[in-house]
Amino acid sequence: MTKKYTLDELLIIAVAREIKDYDNVILGVGLPTTSGALAKALHAPQANLMMEAGMIDFEPLIPPNHIADVMACKGYACATDLFTAFTMTYRGFVDICFLGVGQIDKFGNLNTTAIGDYYKPDLRLPGSGGAADFISYSQRTVLTMRGGEFVEDLDYVTSPGYLGGGDERDSSGLFPQGSGPTKLITQKGIFEFDHKTKEMFLAEIHPRITVEDARKDIPWELNISDKLTETKPPSDAEINFIRNFAPAAAMGRSLAAEVGFANLLKELEERGKT
Amino acid sequence: MTKPIEKVMSAPEAIERFVKDGDHLIIGNYTVGTCMELVFEIIRQGKQGFTLYSQSGILDVELLVAAGAVEKLVTTYVMRSGGRSGGSAVERALKEGSLQIEDYTNYNYNARLMAGMHGFSFMQVFEGIMATDLFKKRSFMGEDKYRVIKCPYTGKDVVTVPAATPDVCIVHVQRADKFGNAQYWGAIGSVPAAALASKRIILTCEEIVDTGIIRSSPHHTIIPAFRADAVIEVPWGAHPTEVVGHYNQDKLMWGLFIMAAARQESLQEWMDEWVFNCRDRQAYIDHYVERFGSGWLQKLVAKPFYSAPANYGSAFLSTWDEHGKDRGTGLTMEEIENLLEERGLLHD
Repeated sequence: MTKKYTLDELLIIAVAREIKDYDNVILGVGLPTTSGALAKALHAPQANLMMEAGMIDFEPLIPPNHIADVMACKGYACATDLFTAFTMTYRGFVDICFLGVGQIDKFGNLNTTAIGDYYKPDLRLPGSGGAADFISYSQRTVLTMRGGEFVEDLDYVTSPGYLGGGDERDSSGLFPQGSGPTKLITQKGIFEFDHKTKEMFLAEIHPRITVEDARKDIPWELNISDKLTETKPPSDAEINFIRNFAPAAAMGRSLAAEVGFANLLKELEERGKT
Repeated sequence: MTKPIEKVMSAPEAIERFVKDGDHLIIGNYTVGTCMELVFEIIRQGKQGFTLYSQSGILDVELLVAAGAVEKLVTTYVMRSGGRSGGSAVERALKEGSLQIEDYTNYNYNARLMAGMHGFSFMQVFEGIMATDLFKKRSFMGEDKYRVIKCPYTGKDVVTVPAATPDVCIVHVQRADKFGNAQYWGAIGSVPAAALASKRIILTCEEIVDTGIIRSSPHHTIIPAFRADAVIEVPWGAHPTEVVGHYNQDKLMWGLFIMAAARQESLQEWMDEWVFNCRDRQAYIDHYVERFGSGWLQKLVAKPFYSAPANYGSAFLSTWDEHGKDRGTGLTMEEIENLLEERGLLHD
């Protein structure tokens, strides 16, 4: 019997398992940075962690605040600029990158820009940042989703997945052959994309989640793999690593924010400064 | 007009002299260590009508937009307070129609600066962008947001972005000399490109240092003196964001800002307290210490982790060796002058 885990931990661990030894990895902010640290500590010691702000081969000692946080590590191997971080991606040197999802359609196209009308949005999301560049030219792209939504039609296409499905991405001539999103990891399961149609299907389901739970979020008839398996539960070593490295990440965003804020208030109170 | 050699001045003077209403204004910093005091001073002086460039907007963009200073925004990323249920000044301004936005990817935006920095009229970007709405949906830049040309070598379609050469860059760095040689290290991002693409550069630094320090570490210099217009020493000039080697991000102040930014009214109160009621950075820091105690700031001060010095040494730094002979010809000055005379090479 292994330790109990949170769904945030399961997600972080599932993401970490996608990183192979010797991969050149572009990490995004948030959950992937913890996954990167976990992979490097436990199963991919030669992975090269990089960020688009120009940090190459860094090893975070604490969870970075953002994608330019060199203060989370004690030095790193190469300080290049953002332009070069992207041109090396274009040239094919990046094996894997991770992107968060705002809206996603069945072919893995993403919207992280706006909900509603782009010009007068109901909700203005952050935007592309480096997402569209990375998913276009990284060899593999793993998508992560917490709080995003599945939709039939995106309000805005920020980052190209398999476009209209089938061989549309490969035949467009705009992207390296065989590139595109490889997996989508949510708190319910792991989705992959059909080899031929490029439509996403449920490949693995997390323990104690039902197929019905997974279908609930999805407005189209979700395909389920014939060989649907249960996600391998986290090992104690994986859970221990996350809790030591990033206890707030283990809690998930809202609980961590709640506790963090209470802690700030407490400190202010102790100083008699509220 | 020739620039003065020494460029040290105050933030109010620099903004007054070098930032004009309606300018194309660029925030040089990227995600980290942003030029907060310069942003505050622009707001205090009520400058407006900007086309603002920001590689990745954090509270710098939020404040300038909330102050009504920005008409157009060119960016790749904007912050949002409090997730889906929260909000941002950028979102509010878009909804109201007081702000137009042009979205690029990180690479595309940076490519515009690289073209501007190097004097090219455009830069090639990655063709995959054609499959996205960044390419298809255009705002104030219209046709000129992206243009497609034929590569003369491969015959393939090449997507381009136009050069950006903003009127003025505001940027914060770790150190500079009084001449404007500015040194920055850490996450490089697009900081040098943003500064060097611009026509004028206003820089704040944590410390003004002796030129000897700059000259012993030229690999850290991102802006050479001849490109700088104003140098201002502003300790804690990027607070509440962090500056590598000086101080960490202030989560308390970040938290207060994030909570305030979700609504215009609370953001206005935040600005009244921290921008308008503090005449300069010293007053801001004094007010901070008064409200929260000095202990908070002390906890943020970075413990040193020095880079190994790069050895710029050489075997000799004089043409003349220890015997007074020129290293190339093996002759003394007297012997050289005699030789010149002898060969009839000297003229009255």
